[in-house]
Amino acid sequence: MMGNKILEVKDLEVKFPVRSKLLASKEEKFKIVIEKVSFSIMEGETFGVVGETGSGKSTIAKTLVGINYPSAGEIYLMGRKINFNKKSDLIFLRRNVGIIFQDPVGSLNPKLRIFDIILEGLNFEEKYTKEEKRDKVYAVAKKVGLNESKLFSYPSELSGGEKQRVSLARAIISPKKILILDEPTSSLDVSIQAQILNLLQNLKEELNLTYIFITHDFNVIKYMCDRLGVLYYGRMLEISEVKDAYENPLHPYTKDLMNANITIEGNSGFESETELGEPARNGCIYLNSCRFKMDICNRDPPMIELNSRLVKCWLYDKSQKEDYIKVKGSN
Amino acid sequence: MINLPRDISHEKNLSEIILEVENLRVSIETIDKRVEVLRGVNLKLKRGEVTAIVGESGSGKTTLAQAIIGVLDTPPVFIESGEIFFDGIKIFPSNEKINFRGQGINMVFQEPLVSLNPVYTIRKQLEESIEVQGLHMKKKEIEEELSKILSDLMIRDVDRVLNSYPHQLSGGMRQRVAIAMAMIQRPKLLILDEPTTGLDLIVQRKIIQLLLKLKKEFGTTLLIITHDLAVAANMADRMYVMYAGKIVESGTKDQVIKDPLHPYSKMLRDSVPSGYKDSGPLRVTEGNPPDISHLPSGCAFHPRCPLAMEICRKEEPTKKVIEDREVLCWLYDGKQNT
Repeated sequence: MMGNKILEVKDLEVKFPVRSKLLASKEEKFKIVIEKVSFSIMEGETFGVVGETGSGKSTIAKTLVGINYPSAGEIYLMGRKINFNKKSDLIFLRRNVGIIFQDPVGSLNPKLRIFDIILEGLNFEEKYTKEEKRDKVYAVAKKVGLNESKLFSYPSELSGGEKQRVSLARAIISPKKILILDEPTSSLDVSIQAQILNLLQNLKEELNLTYIFITHDFNVIKYMCDRLGVLYYGRMLEISEVKDAYENPLHPYTKDLMNANITIEGNSGFESETELGEPARNGCIYLNSCRFKMDICNRDPPMIELNSRLVKCWLYDKSQKEDYIKVKGSN
Repeated sequence: MINLPRDISHEKNLSEIILEVENLRVSIETIDKRVEVLRGVNLKLKRGEVTAIVGESGSGKTTLAQAIIGVLDTPPVFIESGEIFFDGIKIFPSNEKINFRGQGINMVFQEPLVSLNPVYTIRKQLEESIEVQGLHMKKKEIEEELSKILSDLMIRDVDRVLNSYPHQLSGGMRQRVAIAMAMIQRPKLLILDEPTTGLDLIVQRKIIQLLLKLKKEFGTTLLIITHDLAVAANMADRMYVMYAGKIVESGTKDQVIKDPLHPYSKMLRDSVPSGYKDSGPLRVTEGNPPDISHLPSGCAFHPRCPLAMEICRKEEPTKKVIEDREVLCWLYDGKQNT
C-alpha cells in the first residue's frame, strides 16, 4: 500500500518575530522555532511526529496547511513545489491536506450548528448544488459515526469525542490526500480515545489517506504509526520505523524518551537518569541533557543515515566509530 | 479547635488504616434539582501505601478528594451523608473544627499554576507553609529546610527557583514546587490530583520516581487521583476504579490491571493501546461516559456493558466481596465468599 513520496519537506525553517523590549527599537528580532527540518512522507503511511511541549510539533502541522508560512526551505506536495505567496498553491495545499486540532472546543465555531460546521469543509468546492452538499454532510456524518440527531445541535451540546468526530467530518468531507492529526485524542478519556483511534484506522483504509500523527503519547504513536520522527526544540533528531525506534532507539534523546515511557504493565522499576537541561545554543541541541556527550558535540551534527534510518548525532558518524561501539556496549 | 498530635508515628497501637471513608454521598444543588455526584463511596487507605483512584472524567474522582480534605465548593456542592475518619479521629461530620489539614492531610491540586500565588515568589510561598506549622524556626533553619526539600525533589538550581515567580517556571518545575509545598509540612496523607497530567514524558517519569522516593523516606501515605492507567500501574499498591460516582472495583494493582473483575475495569484496560500497529484494532466499547444528572436505571454501566443481563437494567448491583477484593457487579452474584 505504501508508494511514492507524497509530501517532501526540505530544510524547513519557521521563525516568529519577537517583540523587542524597547518599543522604539527598530531592529526586528526573530525566534527560530523550526530549524532545518527535512522529512518525506510516503503515500499511505502514518508518520508520527513526537516531541515534548515546545518542540514545534504544532508549528510544523500549521505550516503544512499554510497557517504559518515557512521562512526558508521547500515543501513539495505530490511533486509540486508550494509557493506560499501564491494563492493557487495555497488552495492546492489546503484542498489536499486536512488538519484536525488538539482542542475540539476551540476549533469549532460555537455559534454554528454542527451541520454548518461540517459544511464549511466544502467552502472551496463550488461545483455542488445545495442538495448535494446536504447529502454529503449526512454521508460523512455517518462515516465518522456521528448520530444524525446531533447535526442540528451546537458544539457545546456535544461530548469531547463527538466534537472530535465533527472535526474529522469537516476535514474529510472534501476528498483529501493527507490528514494531519495534531494530538487528536489527548483531551479525550481513554475509552473514547480507543473509539477515535479505531475510527481513524478504518477511515484511512477506506479513503486511502496518509496520516501525519502528532502526539506526545508514546503508546498511541506505537499503535498508530509506521514511521516516526523525533522532534526536539525545532530540530528533527531521528527518523525511524516505529519498531526500530522502540526496540533500538539511536539518538540519546530517543533513548531517554523510551526509558521514560510508562505502560500499564508497570515498568518503572529502573531509574531514569536523564537530567533535562536547557537546549544548547551552540552545537548539538541536546548537548546539555545528553549522557553520551563528547568533545565533538560542540559542533552541530549532520543528519547521518544508518541502515535507512536517519539520526542527527555524532555517535553514529563513521569517524567516531570507537565511541559508538563503547556506547552500544554500555546500553 | 482540636489539633492533631504532631508526631505519633512512634506510638505502637497505630491502626493500619489511616483514612476511612464510609458511605459518602455528595450532591450538587442546581436550580431545579439535586444531582448526586458521589453515590455512596467507601474507601480505606492503609498507612504507608499508595492508593490510586482511576476513572474517566465526570466519575467523581476529584470531588471525592475535595470532600476528604474539606474543600468542596459549598454551595452548590455539599456532603449529604457519610463519615470520614482520619487517623482514628472523625473529621466529618464533626461539631468541632479539627485542624487536620497541612500536617495531617495535604493535597496537591491538578493545575499548579492555579494553586500557586502569582504575585509572590516561590521562596515566600514555601516559607509560608513552614510558618503555618508554628515551629518558630530561625531564618537560617528555614533556608536550610527549603534547600533540602528542593534538592530532594531533584531541583538543581535551588536559588533561581526560590527567587522566581510561578509563571517563570516550567510546568514540571511548578508541579515539583507544589509537591514541595505539600511535603514540607510532612503530611501523613498526601492527596495528588492528576499529578502528572500535562507534563512531558521525562518529567512525568521524574515526578513518579520522586513521589515513590518521598513515600519511602517519610512513610507518607499517598492517594493518587488519575485517569491514566499507566500512572496508576506504576505507582499504586491498591487501586479503586470509579464510574458514575461509585467505586465499581477495588483490589491490589495487579489484581485490577492483570485480572479485572468488573467489565468497566476490563474496558479501561483494553482501551489503552499497548502493541504495534499490526496488533489489530483496539477492543472498544461504544457509548460515552454517562451524564451524571441522567443516570440510566439499574447499574450505571449497563448501556455500555457487553455482558449486561436483565437484572442489570433493573436493579443497582450490591457490593460483592470475592476473596480480598470488592466488585460492584451482578456477574459475581452468588460467587462471593461468605
